[in-house]
Amino acid sequence: MKWMQFFTPVTSITWEEANKLAADKAEGDVVFLDVRQPKEYEGGHLPGAKLLPLGDLDKRLAELDAEKPIVVY
Amino acid sequence: MLAGKGFSKVYNLSGGIKAWGKEVAVGSEDVGLHLFSGVASSEEAIVTGFGLETGLREFYLSMQKQVSRATTRSLFSLLADIEILHQERLVKLYNAINGTTITVADFAEKIAGPAMEGGLSTEEYLQLYKTDLESELEVLGLALAIEAQALDLYVRAAERGGESRKVLLQIAEEERGHMARLSQYIDQQPDLA
Repeated sequence: MKWMQFFTPVTSITWEEANKLAADKAEGDVVFLDVRQPKEYEGGHLPGAKLLPLGDLDKRLAELDAEKPIVVY
Repeated sequence: MLAGKGFSKVYNLSGGIKAWGKEVAVGSEDVGLHLFSGVASSEEAIVTGFGLETGLREFYLSMQKQVSRATTRSLFSLLADIEILHQERLVKLYNAINGTTITVADFAEKIAGPAMEGGLSTEEYLQLYKTDLESELEVLGLALAIEAQALDLYVRAAERGGESRKVLLQIAEEERGHMARLSQYIDQQPDLA
């Protein structure tokens, strides 16, 4: 079984790059999206991060603005 | 999943929240949220889906040996078995579309096999995304991410319409069920790390 051809990797950015991305934009113009489970979110998350567990993502995409940069973790 | 729905500026935070909290890029949670490339036809979706089901099954069977909890092992065993049913259903669909009577074994060897050459092995894939196999939470998180890929593939392939739509949506729904089961399991294990 080979995996690579199934996936187009998303661009990865470091926390420094993510921080700069957010700092360069107006408040709220970069979305930090937490796709973990609620209990993991409660245990600690990035300030202002939106919780949208991976299992719900496809049904709740309308809650996200497709025009804004989204940093997923 | 996001890129397929018109989200163009999506970034994966390298190292996840651990890296952010420590302010160093340790990269241990970089399980990635990868996206499928476009799928051209129902037939291609079936071949890709079959390959993915093979990979998912292999992943669950291999992770079964890694995790220590009996409940996690049993969940992975169950999910691995369901992927066989998905493979059978995909081959049935392939036969219906093409008017063939190919068996699952022949499909795997002659059609899906050649289409899967040149990628990464499961081990290499896990290495690439630096999955900490000692962490059951991380392994479960990776399982969720791969199931999300499968769901995304089937939904997008189904959106192209045609005779395969109903079957693809049904399989997509089952992948969604797998994700729900994995999510619930994570939530029900308070000491999972």
